[in-house]
Amino acid sequence: MKKTQYIILILSLFVGFSCAVDESCRTNRSVLMDLGMYHVTKTDTSKVTASFSFDSLTVRGLKYDNTANKYVYTDSILYNNEKSISKINLPLHSFESTSVFEVTFNGKTIKANVVTNKNDTTVYVNKKDTLIVTHQNTDKYLSLECGSIKIHSVDTILTTKNFIDSIRIVNRKVNNINVENIKIYK
Amino acid sequence: MLMVYSVQAQKIKIQKKIASDSIAIPLFNGIIVEGDVASVASSVLSNGGTYSYEGAVKIDLKHKFYPTFEFGYAGADKLTVDNVGFNTNGAFWRGGIDINMLKQKKAANAINSMLLLGLRLGVSSFNYNISNVTITDEYWGGSVQAMNYNNLSTTKVWLELTAGIRVEVFKNIYMGWTIRNKNLLTSTADGAVTPWYIPGFGTNKSSNLGLNYTIGYKFQLPSKRKNVVKPQTGEVTTAKKK
Repeated sequence: MKKTQYIILILSLFVGFSCAVDESCRTNRSVLMDLGMYHVTKTDTSKVTASFSFDSLTVRGLKYDNTANKYVYTDSILYNNEKSISKINLPLHSFESTSVFEVTFNGKTIKANVVTNKNDTTVYVNKKDTLIVTHQNTDKYLSLECGSIKIHSVDTILTTKNFIDSIRIVNRKVNNINVENIKIYK
Repeated sequence: MLMVYSVQAQKIKIQKKIASDSIAIPLFNGIIVEGDVASVASSVLSNGGTYSYEGAVKIDLKHKFYPTFEFGYAGADKLTVDNVGFNTNGAFWRGGIDINMLKQKKAANAINSMLLLGLRLGVSSFNYNISNVTITDEYWGGSVQAMNYNNLSTTKVWLELTAGIRVEVFKNIYMGWTIRNKNLLTSTADGAVTPWYIPGFGTNKSSNLGLNYTIGYKFQLPSKRKNVVKPQTGEVTTAKKK
């Protein structure tokens, strides 16, 4: 190969070379606890777990008001009468170790009745449950452009049982990678 | 026509014989000391945001192998749009070898160029500060948490593939450029407070491109100069095949 050919080859490496500096954050910064809703249908021989899709769902955060000595609603509603959902993502408190949510369920369950040989439908209207999540908060540095975020580790989760049957923690780590943390069963 | 060609061929033969008889390339052919202009220019253009100054020493072995040692000093003083501050400064070193892909011309008055392909291992140990990293809770509210990380220290190692050319523009004065593909070897744990800039490597990401524009001087041993074979009067110094 001739020298000039070498030089052309090397010069061609410059094509597409740019010095642009990008300052925007490209990492997911949102840290949300993922909850999935499930319904278990039991018969004598089988047990089927399926996602539970609600007619509508409302979720609000509750914070403790020191002057009134009681829990009050936060200013914004997390899910306002959302239709046909089976998953919710909730933000945990960054600077406190307890986060409280009120969930209002509207939905129905259908269960086969072996005696009448028909389906029994139970309708739930505005059933409210309170979820109390206790968690630890840790700083996680992402980058200079994205800054730091708070990630959480769920210790316990308590619930009232007006609508919810049971609850299970499947992944304690709540961070910017979206995985299901909690399963709620009806 | 045939005669002209045979005379030409004979001349080439004679010249090749002279060259192979009289010049055996010695192992050591001097040291090239280089300074980088591109890093100085980019330091000026970045207006103090990042700066880097570097130089290199190359040992000429048989005009083919060039063990290279590069050293420099670099730093950054950066403020993001969110007012997060970062600053660092530190020295860096790179060691490796270049291989000249062009054959050295035997004649003493020939212009010698080099097409260099090389490998480098880069190392930098440095301290850095990150200030005013804030965490806010957009849903629950509460106070803003601001954090400063001072005097963090780290060592970064990277591997470079380099390609470049050098041309002897005047006697013993070489100019040219090097393009570098830099690949970071040191990994960091998820969530670690990592530096935004690494001296000698650039902004902290898995791979970076680098460019040097160098001016260098070749120091030769005095004995080497005496041994240079001067072409005899009337002798053809360059031969081209027609």
